[in-house]
Amino acid sequence: MRTFRILFFKELKGYFLTPFGWLIMAFAAMMQGLSLSTTLKEYSESAMPENLVFATFQSPIFWFYYLFLFPVLTMRLFSEENRSGTLEGLLTAPVKTWQVVLSKYFAAYLTFILLWIPALIHFRLFTMLNDIPPPFNNGELYGALTIVILMGSLFTAMGCLASCMTSSQIIAGIVCVGILFVHFLLGLIPYFFGDQIAAAPLFHFISSQEHLRSFSRGLVDTRPFVYYLTASGFFIFLTYHLLDYRRWKP
Amino acid sequence: MIEVANLSKNYGRHTAVDGISFEVSKGEIVGFLGPNGAGKTTTLRMLTGFLPPTSGAARIAGHDIFRESLDVRRHIGYMPENVPLYTDMRVREYLRFRGSLRGLKASQLRKRLGKTLDICGLTHVRRKMIKTLSKGYRQRVGLADALIHEPDLLILDEPTNGLDPNQIRAIRSLIQNLGENHTILLSTHILSEVEMTCNKVVIIDEGKVKAADTPQNLVNSMRRAGRISVELQGPREEIETKLSAVDDVTKVACQPIQDGWSRYTVFVAPNTDTRLRISAIAHNMQWPLRSLARRSGTLEEVFVELTRRD
Repeated sequence: MRTFRILFFKELKGYFLTPFGWLIMAFAAMMQGLSLSTTLKEYSESAMPENLVFATFQSPIFWFYYLFLFPVLTMRLFSEENRSGTLEGLLTAPVKTWQVVLSKYFAAYLTFILLWIPALIHFRLFTMLNDIPPPFNNGELYGALTIVILMGSLFTAMGCLASCMTSSQIIAGIVCVGILFVHFLLGLIPYFFGDQIAAAPLFHFISSQEHLRSFSRGLVDTRPFVYYLTASGFFIFLTYHLLDYRRWKP
Repeated sequence: MIEVANLSKNYGRHTAVDGISFEVSKGEIVGFLGPNGAGKTTTLRMLTGFLPPTSGAARIAGHDIFRESLDVRRHIGYMPENVPLYTDMRVREYLRFRGSLRGLKASQLRKRLGKTLDICGLTHVRRKMIKTLSKGYRQRVGLADALIHEPDLLILDEPTNGLDPNQIRAIRSLIQNLGENHTILLSTHILSEVEMTCNKVVIIDEGKVKAADTPQNLVNSMRRAGRISVELQGPREEIETKLSAVDDVTKVACQPIQDGWSRYTVFVAPNTDTRLRISAIAHNMQWPLRSLARRSGTLEEVFVELTRRD
């Protein structure tokens, strides 16, 4: 546990004692603010049937920046160590491979979670600065943040796997975007093909867009919890074995 | 300290290390020599647990390198080839990280940190970012990293690679000092370094051990070692016949220099000394003699002899 903690804080320092983490944070805050303000503009122009949180997280800009965060956060985690050779020093110290994998994963994931503080502040500010009743309630706000963070657990794990595959950060980033994009498109399949196809329930089950829609209406479902947590576990497992591969390959 | 038995490593169809065996006992400084691509780095990586062996076994401090990898890693300080470091950390921060990773507690760590910085001559750059350091200093940081937890065994992969002569000297004397209370296995292809620092040499080539002995024994057992160089003044042909007639001499070669002086290279059977007899002949014949020396072989010759491919 001590080793894990040392590695975890080292990774976390890599994000926050360099401009890197703060740049991503600034980018996220800006994009969150942009999607909120464009949504507010729509509200001022016409009557909206949905709550503000729902409309903000449904704005097209959301998926654009949301999916962009993961490759940026995770691409250098393993690939940089691989490229510079520091992996050799790390794995010849008395540390277990799972400690390395989990420390990197959780550091990236914690950083990702912290990126949603600006979004929370934006919505809180909205209620603090207005005397009108907010066009959303707490259930909707926290539901949306819950699913965003929950989806993040899987997407961060996918990013870790992509980073572990190669020693080039750029390729790791591109592979990560590729995996995320495929996952995103799989969720859109019921949209295009309708519910008649036999596998439609499966695609509904993994559709991040649908999860986001229901959670930001305040409908918290436990099935996505199971899905995202097991799937992240699976991707971390793959990452672990990919990193450990050199130990048992012939 | 290290027992290696029939260790092999294949990369696909290519055999990098082919059944090598050697032993290193406690307190020795062992030079691990071989031409490029001989399998040095692969062997060291297997010993440190970074790569698994394809077959064979090795034990370090009594622990199996594959099954008890963590115990093995606790006993070694490893400096990989090209010294990879986290370049965006500061020297002290990096060493603190590596020390605590090796299980040093805060108070021990503080003590060891000061001592290690001192030993490696890093005290005045301890606050600097590693990326601003020159290659020589990075090499020292790598060495400090390997030393910080006071390991029983130091494994250094080309510790003086790419340094200038002064830095090589500094690292070499550092290694010599460390050798007093550590076992050291260092790979290199700089032979003078090995002659000066190591008390045992393992030469490998194409994945096989070619020789394992002290540098002195290796040089002595070399067939080229028996060669005497004489500088004489006198009639060339007479000298050649006289010298050839001496017992144990196999061949005489002449190379004229200036002012009537010539250098004769006398090849003799190994482990014999003909110098006294040669000087007696020169004295009797009244040939002026200004130099008479046995050329002792060098480790370089041993190395070339064992690893050349013709």
